Amino acid sequence: MTRTLFYGHPLPGLKDTELPGKLIVVEGTDGVGRSTQIALLREWLEANGYAATETGFTRSVLVASGIRKAKRGHTMGDLTMNLFYATDFVDRLEKQIIPALRAGFVVLTDRYIYSLIARAQVRGVDAQWIRDVIGFALIPDVVFYLQIDVDNLIPRVVNSGGFDYWESGMDFLRGDDIYKNYVDYQTQLLKQFDAMAQEYHFHVVDANRNVPEVFIDLRDAIQTLIGDFEHQAGLGAATPPKKNKRK
Amino acid sequence: MATAPDGTALRGRLFIVEGIDGSGKSTQLDLLHKWLVSRGYLVAFTEWNSSPVVRQTTKKGKDNKLLSPASFCLIHAADLADRVEHQILPALQAGAIVLADRYAYTAFARDVARGVDREWVRAIYRFAVRPTVAFYFRVPLDESLQRILVGRPELKYYEAGLDLGLSDDPYESFRLFQGRILREYEHLVDEFGLTVIDATQPLVQQQARMRKLILPHLKGVQKVEHRPWREVLSKEGLHGRYLDVASRDREEN
Repeated sequence: MTRTLFYGHPLPGLKDTELPGKLIVVEGTDGVGRSTQIALLREWLEANGYAATETGFTRSVLVASGIRKAKRGHTMGDLTMNLFYATDFVDRLEKQIIPALRAGFVVLTDRYIYSLIARAQVRGVDAQWIRDVIGFALIPDVVFYLQIDVDNLIPRVVNSGGFDYWESGMDFLRGDDIYKNYVDYQTQLLKQFDAMAQEYHFHVVDANRNVPEVFIDLRDAIQTLIGDFEHQAGLGAATPPKKNKRK
Repeated sequence: MATAPDGTALRGRLFIVEGIDGSGKSTQLDLLHKWLVSRGYLVAFTEWNSSPVVRQTTKKGKDNKLLSPASFCLIHAADLADRVEHQILPALQAGAIVLADRYAYTAFARDVARGVDREWVRAIYRFAVRPTVAFYFRVPLDESLQRILVGRPELKYYEAGLDLGLSDDPYESFRLFQGRILREYEHLVDEFGLTVIDATQPLVQQQARMRKLILPHLKGVQKVEHRPWREVLSKEGLHGRYLDVASRDREEN
């Protein structure tokens, strides 16, 4: 059971005081490998008998296409972008995340409010305002922060299709040197994430390492979390998922 | 002066109108608009739910009944945010008069009537420029219902508050929902110092009162010459037969 706790004002209309599922957040910047790890974790969870589901930014039914269109036209100001993403987030929270948690699923979330806060702060948006706006976010059971150095990030981004306009901060940084802006923007973002690690109790995972090493860290941490989960649910006697210890 | 959220005074003026559906606020704002233009002021107009970036998403949400009280609140905030960033603030910086049909107070009334936390909505809208004058068109519930229901019998889902499950009958639901909104508006009058206009008065009297109230705020506001080609036409005895083409070209470019 997870108690429903919020960072700020509670979500309007939510009556549940407890949700049986687990909310697991994977945070980190562009190209750090969040979606790869989530794909692996989901399969691992399901292989071990746990119902798992995933969600990520701009995947809401309501807002996804609107955000895509606005980003293509490069037409969003900072406030609009934040509120658009907040709408996307609340839609997914209400329509995907909470129903899945209510049904006892493990919900793997690709990015959470911390990415929104980091992006907003780098762009000079009022720090308290953005926290107030998205205060309705459920406090997750665990937040994995995939931490990486910019130097290690760049080869991965180049390898996976190059530099994205928005992930390079082209909407607010000067000049048209996308490489330089990417480095600059990501450096600033990472600083924000690092600063939030304490405020929001991130479980920091060193993502400078390779995929299997990162996976093992995540898997072991989730294993512990789910162990508690079973214990609380009175399933303590059930066989725990096998740990494939690396030799 | 209109005031930015950080306290800086802006050169332009922001006049907004608020009130429940059927209070006659749009009619009055339109009359005010025409008057200001005829007096040579530079005027920009903006209305609720009209951001080119956000509007389609809101429409999709309403048409498909996808909106919860929270997402309804946030998507409307996104709409105003876009208009503040791209229309309202730049126009005020340029010294223009901005007229807004509905503003953040609509959200404060409607969203709270939907069960959203008062403080949260106010926090979200902290980005909104403070208006020079905010008019509230006060009308008794029955009067507004009569005006609305006579002209337009088909009530929309969210407009009637049907998402709240107050009643299965759209008319009854609309009545209850508008009643809640009205009560919230009444709180806002004191909290934000809204200027109350008695919307049961004859239209011409309401307009006279509005003009009288904004007149002191017009000193030093930017003026612009409308139809600057008029003088050439009269001097040269021309008809201006190609001016339509010129204005069409401008719109297309």
